[in-house]
Amino acid sequence: MIITVTLSPAIDKVYWVDHLKIGEVAQDSFLTRATRSLTSAGGKGINVSILLSRLQVDNIAMGFVAGHTGHVVVRDLRDEGITTNFVWTHGETRTNVTILENGREHIPIKVNETSTPVTPLELDRFFRRFRRIVPNAEWVVLGGVLPPGAPPDVYRQLTSIANQHGARVVVTAGGRALAESLLACPYLVKPDLRESVSLEGSPVVTVSEIIAAGKKIVSCGVEMIVMTHEVTGDIVITKDAVWEIQARVKTTQIKNIVGADDALLGGIIYQLDRGADVEHALRFGMATGILSAESEEKICRNINRIENEMNLISLERLEG
Amino acid sequence: MKVHEIMTRDLTSVEADVTIRELIFILDNARMPNIPVVNDANQLLGIISEKDLIRAALPGYFDMLHSASFIPDLNQMAKRLSAIIDDPAEKHMQRSVLHVLADDDVLQAADLIIRKDISNIPVVDGEGQLVGRVKRIDLLKPYI
Repeated sequence: MIITVTLSPAIDKVYWVDHLKIGEVAQDSFLTRATRSLTSAGGKGINVSILLSRLQVDNIAMGFVAGHTGHVVVRDLRDEGITTNFVWTHGETRTNVTILENGREHIPIKVNETSTPVTPLELDRFFRRFRRIVPNAEWVVLGGVLPPGAPPDVYRQLTSIANQHGARVVVTAGGRALAESLLACPYLVKPDLRESVSLEGSPVVTVSEIIAAGKKIVSCGVEMIVMTHEVTGDIVITKDAVWEIQARVKTTQIKNIVGADDALLGGIIYQLDRGADVEHALRFGMATGILSAESEEKICRNINRIENEMNLISLERLEG
Repeated sequence: MKVHEIMTRDLTSVEADVTIRELIFILDNARMPNIPVVNDANQLLGIISEKDLIRAALPGYFDMLHSASFIPDLNQMAKRLSAIIDDPAEKHMQRSVLHVLADDDVLQAADLIIRKDISNIPVVDGEGQLVGRVKRIDLLKPYI
């Protein structure tokens, strides 16, 4: 069984527009009409849950939800066949808005709200729920930013608890939440480089900088690190090897990159859980991510196309 | 058709020591008429409902009255509620809980829900761990 944790879930609202009018002065130019839109439950862990559920993998989504939008999130997940186990808090689950200009979808404009703060009592309730079900978990995915009120070491605490029960922990986050989690040695890490352009003060831009930063993390005891390099490419580092993985697709084929990174991670977890070797898992994961980016819906639904998409993936072993 | 094919896959539940104050917040926000009470192993201990809380807040002689309109002063109810507001859920929960197994036939769940006139019934696995609940509407959804 797989548990995903999204402490700051969201409603993802995506708008496509022909031309976004910014800085227009004339009153009749203020309005930008969306040509179409999509609404879905979101957040890193939740996106992984949706992908896994579409791959027929039973999983439980956990975190905090609140208010009307909280009900939208929970309803969406149940419709996907995902088991929900959320702590209800005060306030309102946040809404994250993405605006995509038709033809330039690979350069999104994103506006993410901040989550409602959580109280110590609500955190305590969450931890107790987590402890109750983690003994049944083979994998635990911890994803996304922390809500105000959550201590920065919350992922470290959750990783330690999951490790004690023999679960493999995946952390996809950034900033201090990620740095703290490394102290508890998660199995797999995917840094969110949107939150911090550097790891431990070192800039992470070029391939060599990415590999150096990744090796530093692996030396802490992490088994695998997946680092975004380009829109359609990642660097993967383990103790024994370094791979560069690329999708041979044009950026113009991209329709909606929201959640594509999480779909990639979900694809890797899916294959590793089935006992696949690392290279197959990486190719499958990248194919899943690219297929999601190529579809308007956030997470790809046409799962049977993943195997075909794998033909577009190149995997180069850089070291090891 | 089996229960696990139609059930609502939700594990919203509380521990036995959750207070009535928290419980009212959870029932209201999660929009649930009742909520399972579980132990540290996620096994079903009991269930507590809005009805249980209202009854606990009513004067002791309520059962002897023909109608709630005979309660002379609703302040009595408010006073009693404030007296129990920090009580643990286990003090007011029903310990004998109707439930079904995930692998039971849906007819079993339907029979209990209809005959006992309950809005939903908890679902547990072979080890007694909570895995979901069947709501009345879940019985109808497969046919639309």
